[in-house]
Amino acid sequence: MNRATLSLLVLLLICALSLVTSQQKTRKLFVSLERAQAQERKLNQEWLRLEFEQRNLSKSARIRDVARNQLRMSPITPDRTLYFKEGL
Amino acid sequence: MKPVGFSTSPNVVLRLPMWRSRLMLFLLFVAFVALVIRAFWIQGPGNGFYEAKAVKGVQREIEMRATRGKILDRNGQLIATSLEAKAVIAYTDNIPANLAPEKITQLAKLLEMSEAEIKKRFADERNQVFLRRQVDPEIAQQIRRLEIPGIGLNNEYRRHYPEGEAMAHVVGFTNVEDRGQEGIELARDKDLAAQPGKRRVVVDRLGRIVNDIAILQFPQDGQDLQLSIDSKIQYIAYNALKSAVEKHRAKAGGAVVLDVRTGEILALANWPSYNPNSRKALTGEQLRNRVLTDTFEPGSTMKPFPVALALEQGKVQPETNMTIGQKLLVGPKPITDTHPYGMLTVSQVIQKSSNIGTAKLALQLEPREMWDLFAAVGFGQAPNIGFPGTVTGRLHPYQKWGQSDQARMSFGYGISTSLFQLARAYTIFARDGELVPTTILRSPDYKPGTRIITAKTAIEMRNMLETVTEQGGTALTARAEGFRVGGKTGTSHKVEGKGYASNKYRAIFVGLAPISAPRIVVAVMVDEPSVGGYFGGQVAAPVFSTIVSETLRSLNVSPDMNERTVVQAPELQPTTSTLQKVALKQ
Repeated sequence: MNRATLSLLVLLLICALSLVTSQQKTRKLFVSLERAQAQERKLNQEWLRLEFEQRNLSKSARIRDVARNQLRMSPITPDRTLYFKEGL
Repeated sequence: MKPVGFSTSPNVVLRLPMWRSRLMLFLLFVAFVALVIRAFWIQGPGNGFYEAKAVKGVQREIEMRATRGKILDRNGQLIATSLEAKAVIAYTDNIPANLAPEKITQLAKLLEMSEAEIKKRFADERNQVFLRRQVDPEIAQQIRRLEIPGIGLNNEYRRHYPEGEAMAHVVGFTNVEDRGQEGIELARDKDLAAQPGKRRVVVDRLGRIVNDIAILQFPQDGQDLQLSIDSKIQYIAYNALKSAVEKHRAKAGGAVVLDVRTGEILALANWPSYNPNSRKALTGEQLRNRVLTDTFEPGSTMKPFPVALALEQGKVQPETNMTIGQKLLVGPKPITDTHPYGMLTVSQVIQKSSNIGTAKLALQLEPREMWDLFAAVGFGQAPNIGFPGTVTGRLHPYQKWGQSDQARMSFGYGISTSLFQLARAYTIFARDGELVPTTILRSPDYKPGTRIITAKTAIEMRNMLETVTEQGGTALTARAEGFRVGGKTGTSHKVEGKGYASNKYRAIFVGLAPISAPRIVVAVMVDEPSVGGYFGGQVAAPVFSTIVSETLRSLNVSPDMNERTVVQAPELQPTTSTLQKVALKQ
C-alpha cells in the first residue's frame, strides 16, 4: 500500500516535470516559428523589392537610353537586314 | 493579608452575561462564511469579470497582413506592385514638451515637411495624428533611430508603378487605403484587393507573442492580374504620340494598338499624362483616358464604311468611274472637297479622301442598311472591355436621318465615336470582314469574330486603304519601312458651341499593317495641332508610321515589302556554310 502510494507520487512528479519541459519546448518552438514566419515575410518583401528594382533597370526607356547613348547602337532597318525563310 | 489567586480575584470573577461571548462567536462565524461564499463566487460563477481582465492583459488580436495583387503586362513584366512602407504617427500626449529642437529639424528633413507643420501636428488635440503616410522603409528606419518618444511607425503598403506616365491611364492608381481609384486598379479592385487576416495570441509582459490561440480570419493576398498590354509597345506608342503632340503644339492626343488576331489591346496611350507614383496637383485633363472616354466626329476616317457597304451590295466596283464635280448640293450647305476632282474611281475616292464621292456613294444606300453597318461595327455602343468610363458615342437612329445627315455621316460628321471604337471597327478590314471582340486582359488565343462584310469586300477595301499611303494618296507619311501599310486619314473641325470652329482641328489616322496579312490595327488622334500643319496625313500619320514599324519589329513580324530573302533554308537553324554562302552572295 505504502509502496504503491510512493511510486504513484514519483510518477506524478515525473509527469509534472515533463509537462513543464514540454511546455517550455512548445514556447521555444513557437518563438522560432514566429521568427521564421517573420523572416519569410521579410524575404518575400525583399523579393518584391528586388523584382521591382530589376523592372526599373529593364524599363524600355532605360534600355533605349543605354543602347543609344552608352553602347552607340542604332535601330535595325529592313534594308540592312537579311531574312531567312523556313521552307524547302 | 491572604494572597488572592487570580481566579478568585473578585475583579475577575465578575460574571459577564454568557450571550455576549456567544454573539461574538456567531459574528465571527458569519464573517468567515461570507468570506468563503465570496471566495467561492469569485472562483466559480462570478469569475467573468476577472477572467476578462486577465485575458485583456495577456491576449491580443493582431492583424495578419496581406498584399494587393500585382499587375503584369502580357510578358509578365511588372506594371504595378505593392511594397512595404510605414506610416509615421505622432502620439501627441507622449511627446515631451522639451523635445530638442534639432530632433524636430531632423524629423522635418526626413519627412520632407516644414518644422512649423510638424509642431502644428504635435499640438493637435487628438492624441494620435498621422505625420506622413507611405514613407519609404529606409527613411522610417532613420526616423526610428532619432528615438523621439511618442513617434510610432505603422506598417502599410505603397503602390509602385515602374512604367510611370507611359502606362498611367491603363493602370490608374490606388489611394493610401490601397483601394483602386482609376484605370484597371479601379475596374478590377475586387480581384486585386487583399483581405487582411486576424489572429488571437497570448503575449508576455513585454508584448512578445508567446502563443497562438486561434486564427479568426485567414489573410488573403490579392490576385495578380495580367493585362494584354505589352509595355514595350505601350512605350513606343506613348513616345511617338508625345513627340508628335509636342512637335505640333497640340492640346492632347491618344493612340491605341489592337492585335487583330486575338482582339487584345497591345497599347493604349494618352497625352497629357501624369506620373502615378507621385500624384501632386493632378488635373482632370491629365487624368482623362481620351482613347476611351473622349468622343469626336471621326471625319474622313469614317469613309471606308459606307464605301465598303456600296461594294458589298455590288453597287460599284473599286475601278468604277464616278463623276465628282466641284460641289454636291445636299442640305443647307454644299459638300465640297479640298481639291476639286473631275472623275475618280471608287478606289481613288478613298485614296484622295473625296467627300463628294463618298457622299454620292452613301446616297445610293438605304439609311437603314448604313445604320445597321455602323451599329454592327460598334458605333453608338460602349465597347465591352471591362474598363471604367468607356463611352457610347452618338449614332442617331436612321428614322431621323435626312438626306443631308446621311451624306455628311458618310464622311464622319453628325456621328461621334471614341478612338477606341474607331480602331475596333477597322478590325473588319484587317480580319477579312470579321469584327473582333476586344479585351484588355491577356488572352493570346485566336478569337473568332462576327462576320460583318464578305472577305472579298474587306480585301478590296484593304487594297484601297493601301493606296492612301502610296503616291497620290493623302498619307505618304504613314508608310512604315519594310511593311505594306494601309489606313485612312481624317481631319475634322472641332465642334465649338453650336457650330464648328474654323481653326480648331483634330488630326486622325486609323490603319492596319502589314497589308498582306494584317496583324495590328493602330489608331492615332491628335487634338488641336497648332504648328506644322493640322491634316491627319501631316500630324497623325507619321505617328502611325513610327508605331507600326517599331511594333511589328517587336512582334517579330517579317516585312512584306522589299524584303531581301536571300536563302530558302531547309530548317530554321542555318549552318555556318549557308551563312557563308549568304555572305558571299552579298
